[in-house]
Formats: sequence, C-alpha cells, structure tokens
Amino acid sequence: MEVELTRRRLDVARAYRELEDPESGGVVVFVGRVRPDRSERGTVAALWYEADERMATERFHSLVQQAHVRYQARRVVLWHRLGKLGVGEVSVVVGVAAGHRAEAFRGARFLIEGVKKRVPIWKSDWTPGAPETLRRPAGRSTRGPGPATPRRPRRNLVRPS
Amino acid sequence: MAGSVRIRLYATAREAAGAATIRRPIGPSGISLRELLQELGTERPGLLPILRHARFARNGTYLRGTRARLHDGDELAVHPPYSGG
Repeated sequence: MEVELTRRRLDVARAYRELEDPESGGVVVFVGRVRPDRSERGTVAALWYEADERMATERFHSLVQQAHVRYQARRVVLWHRLGKLGVGEVSVVVGVAAGHRAEAFRGARFLIEGVKKRVPIWKSDWTPGAPETLRRPAGRSTRGPGPATPRRPRRNLVRPS
Repeated sequence: MAGSVRIRLYATAREAAGAATIRRPIGPSGISLRELLQELGTERPGLLPILRHARFARNGTYLRGTRARLHDGDELAVHPPYSGG
C-alpha cells in the first residue's frame, strides 16, 4: 500500500518491493529510525509515537498525490509507525520510484519534509513506570468544565529533528 | 437547545490538560473558538502556552483564526506542533 499508519513493524524490504517498476530508473528509499538521544533524564531508550489518525491519513494521501504530480513519481510508499518504538526501530519509510534520480530524490525529500511539518504525528520520550492513565490515546472522555487534576508529566517532549 | 462539543487533545496538550478528551456544554448559539480557548486556558492554565502554538481542526478541517463557531456535536482537535518522522 502507498500509505500506512500502523502499529506493526515496518519492513523496509517490503517497501522496496512495492516500489518495483521497470520504467523507473531511480528509486530512493529513506528510512527514519529511533536514535539514542540524551535527555535530562538520561539516554532515550524508546519513543512514543501518536497521531490524529484520521487527519494524518488524509495528509499522507495528499502528500502522495502531490509527489506523483510534482515529481513524476511512478510509485510511492509513505509509511509511519505508531506506539512505542525502541532505539534502532524504524519509525518512518519514504520511498519514490521515478524515471530519473533527480525526481526520485526530490520526491522523497518532499515527502519526509511534509511528514515532519504538515502531518499531525507526535513523538515523545518514553518513560518507564509513568502513570498508565496518561498513555491512553485521545478518545476517552472527561467531562468539563472543571480544573484538571495535576499529574506528573509522563514524557518529555522531543524537539522536532 | 443547548448541546455540547468534544475537544480532543493530543501529545503535550493532552498531558497539560490531564485528559485526552473533554466534553463541554455549550449554549444554543454555540461557542466561538476564541471563547472556547479562553475558557480552557482559564480552567487549565498549563494548557495556555500550548494553545498559543497549536493548530485547531473542527470535524477534521483546519481552522484559520479563532472566529469560527462550534455547535452541538462538533469536535475540536487540538494539535501541538508536529514532530513525526
């Protein structure tokens, strides 16, 4: 599939197979992985990825469509993983197959920059032992108005890289 | 007839609010985004710095400015700055 937003492990070899196209002279695959950054609480062991899944999926399809039109991409993959990812795991796969290398490189760059700037996905440090109540995704209700109960922050925000 | 709107909070907005979703009663004429954000910021001051830099979507469509009104059954998504990849 061109677009995937999934909690399953991303298979780079499968992405490459999806890009198979005898008419494409250039194929570029970008793979983003979790790196062991240092934070104030030590070395990051894992990251947590979440998304506004409906809007993120719509944005993904829009980016892919633009890649086809603007960069003559013949085949595209745009996959992103959600949930808890350990260091070294693949968080994002972007691939473009095009007639020539210039379009393939530009198309892949366009897609990954679009993911970072225009798609409602967020990552944060994963902290073991933090309150489970804050790990839930958006979707459960708390009635307002009323003051929020102070809680210990679960994770540190990760600056966009 | 009065109703309610649902506010979905993501990432740092959820953590600052202490809730993933807030259901808020509204009057028959609805509520403007500006009014809603002012009320949220007053009730949950930790949200204020996040709301200043957030994007907002009503029923899956991004809003420009804060004049838009929300009515019974609407859903407002609060998106802090993105950090995917």
